[in-house]
Amino acid sequence: MSNPTPAGIDPRGPRFGAAITSVLLLITVFLGLGDAASTTAGFVLLLVLAALFAAGATLGVSNHPYAFIFKKLVRPRLAAPTELEDPRPPKFAQAVGLFVVSIGIVLYLAGFSYGVAIFAGAAFIAAFLNAAFAYCLGCQIYLGLKRLGVIRNA
Amino acid sequence: MTWQTRIELVVALLAFATLAGFIWKARTGRAHRVRSGEQVDLIKLEAIKAGKPVTKFGKKATALQFSTEVCNQCRQTARLLGELESKHGDLLHLEVDVTNRLDLAAHFKVLQTPTTLLLDSNGRVRARIGGAPKPQVLQEELRKLEIKNV
Repeated sequence: MSNPTPAGIDPRGPRFGAAITSVLLLITVFLGLGDAASTTAGFVLLLVLAALFAAGATLGVSNHPYAFIFKKLVRPRLAAPTELEDPRPPKFAQAVGLFVVSIGIVLYLAGFSYGVAIFAGAAFIAAFLNAAFAYCLGCQIYLGLKRLGVIRNA
Repeated sequence: MTWQTRIELVVALLAFATLAGFIWKARTGRAHRVRSGEQVDLIKLEAIKAGKPVTKFGKKATALQFSTEVCNQCRQTARLLGELESKHGDLLHLEVDVTNRLDLAAHFKVLQTPTTLLLDSNGRVRARIGGAPKPQVLQEELRKLEIKNV
C-alpha cells in the first residue's frame, strides 16, 4: 500500500534551509515592489529560488545545496538530533514552493511585474512558518490536494 | 513605491506571518468533542497492527490516527501515542495511512494529518484532534475515557 520509508534526515536541515529561503524571499518581495530595475533584480532572484526549489523537489532535500552547507557548517556545531525525519514531507514542500514562485515568474513574463512580489510573499509565508514554527505544508495541504485530485503522488 | 512604503510592506508581511504562526500553534492539536459520533467499522478501516489485521478495539479507548507519507508530524504523533499505549494496556493505538485510502479520508472528513479520533470502548468516536495532539490535551481526553494515570 505505502512505499517503503526512506532513510531519515536531521529535521533541523530542512528548517535551516527554510530560514535561508524565507530571507531570500523577503528580499525578493522588497525588490519586487521597487522600480523597473529593482523588479528585474527581484525577478532574477526569484528565478534562482525557483531553481533551488526545483533541486529540492527532484533531487530531494538531502542533495540540496542548503543541505551541503548545513552538513558542513551547521550540524558539526549542534548536538546529535534526538530523532530523524522522513525526507518526503520537505520534498513535497519544495515542490509547492516551486509551483508558487513559478506563478510569479509567469506573471512577470506576461507583463504583470507585481506578480514577483505577490507570489514571493505567498511563498515567504510558508517558508517562514516552516522555519519559525515547524509548520509542515505536507501535513496541512497534501491530503486536501490529493482529495481534490490536484496531485496524484508525493 | 517609495523606500519607506516598501519597507513598511515587508515588515507588515513579516508581522502577518508571525501572527499566523501563533494562531496556528494555538489552534493545532486541540480536541473537539464529538456528539453522537459514529461507530467505526474495523473491517472497512483495514487497519494493520504488528502485521495483523485489527479486529478489536482497545479495552477502554482507541486512538485512531490518520497519516500520510508526507507528514513529519505524523511520526511524532505516532511515537507519542505509541508510548501512551505501551504504558496503558487499556489503550489501543491504530495508525492508518490514508495516502492511498482517499475513501477513508473522505468518509472521516480528514483534510490535515495527523488527525486523531479518540474512540470509546465500543469504537464510537468521542473526540477529534486535528494536527499533532498536545500531550496535556491527550491526557485530559483519555482520562474522560477512563484511562487512568496518564
